[in-house]
Order: sequence, then C-alpha cells, then structure tokens
Amino acid sequence: MTRTDNPIARIIIYIALALFTVYNILPFTWTIMNSVKLPKDANARIPRFIFSPTGDNYAELWLNMSPQDFAPYGLLLVIVIFALFVIGFSANRIPAPNSVVYIGCIFAGVAVALALPEIVNTAEFYDYLINSVIVTMGTLCISLTVGALAGYGLARFRHVVSVYILVIALAFRSLPSLALVLPFYYLGQLSGLYDTHILLILCLVATNQPFTIWMLRSFFMEIPREIEEAAMIDGASRLKSFISVIVPIMWPGIITTGLFTLLLAYNDFLLARILTQINWTLPVGIAQWTGGEDPGHVTLAAAASVSTTLPILIVIIFFQKYLIRGLASGAVKG
Amino acid sequence: MKKGTFTFFVGPSVVIMLALMTLPLLASIVLGLHYITFRNLDEPLWVGFQNYQEVLDDPEFWDSLEFTLIFIAVAVPLRILLGLLFALLLDQIRRFRGVFVAAALVPFVMTPVVGTLIFRDMFDRGGPYWYWMQQLFDYRLFMNSTTVPLLIIFHSIWTATPFAMIVLFAGLQTLPQESLEAARVDGASWLRQLWHVAIPHLRSLFIFIGLISIMDSYRVFDSVFVLTQQNPIYDAETIMFYNFQVALSFGRLGKANAMSVLTVLGIFVVLIPFLVMTYREQTEES
Repeated sequence: MTRTDNPIARIIIYIALALFTVYNILPFTWTIMNSVKLPKDANARIPRFIFSPTGDNYAELWLNMSPQDFAPYGLLLVIVIFALFVIGFSANRIPAPNSVVYIGCIFAGVAVALALPEIVNTAEFYDYLINSVIVTMGTLCISLTVGALAGYGLARFRHVVSVYILVIALAFRSLPSLALVLPFYYLGQLSGLYDTHILLILCLVATNQPFTIWMLRSFFMEIPREIEEAAMIDGASRLKSFISVIVPIMWPGIITTGLFTLLLAYNDFLLARILTQINWTLPVGIAQWTGGEDPGHVTLAAAASVSTTLPILIVIIFFQKYLIRGLASGAVKG
Repeated sequence: MKKGTFTFFVGPSVVIMLALMTLPLLASIVLGLHYITFRNLDEPLWVGFQNYQEVLDDPEFWDSLEFTLIFIAVAVPLRILLGLLFALLLDQIRRFRGVFVAAALVPFVMTPVVGTLIFRDMFDRGGPYWYWMQQLFDYRLFMNSTTVPLLIIFHSIWTATPFAMIVLFAGLQTLPQESLEAARVDGASWLRQLWHVAIPHLRSLFIFIGLISIMDSYRVFDSVFVLTQQNPIYDAETIMFYNFQVALSFGRLGKANAMSVLTVLGIFVVLIPFLVMTYREQTEES
C-alpha cells in the first residue's frame, strides 16, 4: 500500500514499533536481570535495574557442588564442546563423508551430556534438560520421517482417499490434547509405561502428526512431478527417487516443519505434566516454582526460565527465516 | 502413483494416527461411561451416563465454560486487530523490519509456562509493570478474581499477536498491485485503499487466524496453571484446566473423560463448516 511521506507520521510509526518491541522483549530482559541478582535485589520493593551481578543462581540451579570444585570440569567441558564444533565445521577437510562426521559429532555430544552426571554432581535441573532433549529429539526424528513419507504420498496420490485422510487429520489437529492424553494416562498406568520417555514421545508424535502431514504436503505440492518422473524413467524406484531426488530439494520445507515440531515438543507442558512422575521435562520442572514465598524462588525461577528459553531462542534466531516462511505459507494454503 | 506405493508411503502415518488418536478417542468414550478413580484403575465400574449427568449438573463446569467463552470473545478479536495494526505499521517502513519481527517472535516461541511465569513477575509486587502502574496511576495491583482472569487474557494477547502480525504482513505483500494502482490513480486515500483493497484481500487470512485462535483459546491451559497457581480463589479456570483438575487433582478419571468427550463434541460443532469447506476445496483441486 502507499507509504506515507509525511516525516512526522514516519517518526510516530517508528516510535510505535519501538514501543511494541520493548513490550515484546522487556519481560524476558527483566528475567535475565533477575537471574543474575542476589535475592535481596530481586525482592526489592522498587525494581532495580542497576545491581551487582552474581552467578550463584545458575550454580545452584545446575550443580550440587560448589562452583570452585566444578571449575576444572567446566573448563574441560567447554574445550570438548568447542572441539566438537571445530570438527563439525571443518567436516569438508576430514577424509570421511560429511554425514558421518556430523553424526559422529552429535553422538559424541550426546555421550558427553549423558556421562556428565557420572563425573560431576549435577542438580535435578540437569536431568530435566536431558529428559527434554531426549523427548524432543525422539519426537522430531519419528514425526518428520513418518510425516515426510505421508506428506509426499498425499501430495502425489490424487484420490478421494487422500482427501479423507487430510480432512480427518484437520479435525484431529483441532482436538484438545487432553482428550487423547487421559486414555493414555489410564493405559500407561495399567501397562507400566507411565513415566517413560517412549510413551511421551509417542503421544507427542501422534498429536503432532496432523499438522506435520498438512504442512509437508503443502511443500511437496510445490515440487513439479517431472523431477521425480525423470529419475523413475532412469529406473529408480519411487522410494529411491523420493530419497535421492525429492528430499534433497525439500530441506527448507523439512526444516520449517521441524522447527514447529521442535517448538511443540520442547514447549509442551500438559502432556509431560500428565504422563510423567519423576522424569520431568523442563517446562514441568519449572512449574514447581510457580508458587511459594521463599525469597530465593524469584532468582532461581529466573535462572531456570533463562536456561530453558535460551536454547530455543538461539535455534529460532538461526532459523528465523524458515519459521517466518512457514507461518506465512502455511497460512496462505492452510 | 499406484495404490500399493501410496499405502507404503502413507501407511505409517495413518497407523500412528489410528492407534494413537482414534483409539484413545474411542477409549475416552468407553472410559467416560465408567466410574474410575486411582483406587480402581484395574476394575472400572460401569455407570452408564451418570458421569455425563454429573458434568452437566456441575456448576464449576459451566463456570469454566463461561470463562473460556469470554476469553475467546475478548482475546481473539484483539489479537487480530493488534496484529493487523502492527502489520500495517511494518508495511509502512523499510528499515529495522527484521529487528522488529525478531523481537516479536520472542513471546511467541517462548515456552508458555516460562512465558507466563515471566509475565506474572512483571505484574507482581516489585515488578516493573506493578511499580509503574503504582507510580503513574496510583494503582496497586492485587492478584484477585478480577485481575487474574484479565492477566490470563492479556498474556494470551501478548503471545499470539506476533503470529497474527506475521501472517497478515505476509498477506499485505501479496496485495493485487493493479487494484492498488487503480485506487491510487483515482486518488484514493490510504484509509480507502485499506478498506476497499487490503481488507477484502486479507479476508481468508482473518478467517484462518480466527479459527486457529479459537482452537488455541479453547485449549488454553499452561497460563492458567501458572497464573492461578492452581488456587481456585481466582475463579479463572478454563475448561481444559478444570478438566485436568477433575482428572488429576480429584482423581475422577471417568468423569474427566466424559468431560473431554463433551468438549470434543463442542469443538466439532464449530469445526464442521470449516471441514466441509476444506473437503470441497481439496476435491476440486484433485
């Protein structure tokens, strides 16, 4: 639409957007400040924006030992993580296929993360993180594999059956997950699967599936059929042409869908709250600080909030363009 | 694509949805007809429609439904209006767009439990919003049965406006240029362009955002859990939250299942026109 040339109007527009930005990020900024305050600063009657920072809250949150004892291990950990990143980024120079290097790095990282509690005395919060990572990664892998196959099939098979599946999936997408999780809770209690990662992963995959197949299908629809038909004339099977021809050009769509799945699995509270007893994920772990009068709660909850949110914000900053494209395109076709 | 290949590709997904969505739904219908607590998990007691009767006679159920409907009626239009406002402002500028959008994503992607916790801290005694309200308007905010429901609604607007903004902004970039050009040649003001070209073009997006928002508002849970601290005195239970309480706090699994069957039926009433529309669209396409 026509842009205004009036300088005063333009200044007002910028001021309005700047205020909107402050409104969006001030709460998180405030929490970052609280997370490095002493309880007496955080509980002051008049909000303190200037104070002397401390790392005690993070140490108390993550460790069951004094930060001094942890320091040498921490240094070692930083070096290991840095080394893994260096190896990952220089994969091209290593005489092995790139994918092997990446998978090796990821496995090494996971091994370090799992072995850490054996070496240093980590607090419960670390266990929540591990649970969250396992559940999120599990959901992501299963959901995307199954969803990509189905999305592709639904995009290519023009038949009334496809339409039925899509419409039913849409109906499922709008169901409250509580309706599904209560029977799961009941069955979990009876079968002994209650409080296991696998039950939570399966439940998240299922509640995610309708959204995943709709979104991936809309991306597959954009790819012309001629591309895989050419491969199939050369003698490749449907599956082979799908894996070797379609998936490589579909990465943007898969990343976009993966981002939404990641957010949903990582941020989920209701399912994890109902289906776990002690194997809490991060959101369930944090909810324990929602009440209470203990003055230390404010700063500890702030450190926990920042620790939970930061990984997701970093991922989103890296992949922001995919997320926005997903929001925009999913909307136009949805 | 051949039928066999199609089955191979779509099969796993359909099996997952059948086993993990259709079966649980059927199971909740069956469970809803039984009296089940934590003590008789293995031997549910058949009670027929007694649970349904109990839910419909439960004043707290109707209270929670009322609050959910108020929530939808207030939050959904405000999200769309604010989203449209900021999308239009973004459309006016070129510089710093990326910064404004990135900042708007923060409340949207943040873990809802954490987001609510953070949001509450701002309004708690000693939080910046609390302090500024007291300084500027001499208003001391207390958490009570008026303010907590308002904060729940405000929080949902805070987190969902960016979604509406991004979708509508993307829509604004695809306006038909010929119509805009024609309007400009005729000397139409910005307001008239908005009313006669942009709003009609964005109509389907308004419907889309509205539907998603209604569905999301219907199942709002996390923010209620955190802001009420599970304390009934704030009188701010949504239907999902009350359902959760019946199941886990009161241990009445049968009644809770009956309640979720009722909520699902309620959603379908809203949803059916939309499903029929999608069905028509898809059959025409193929």
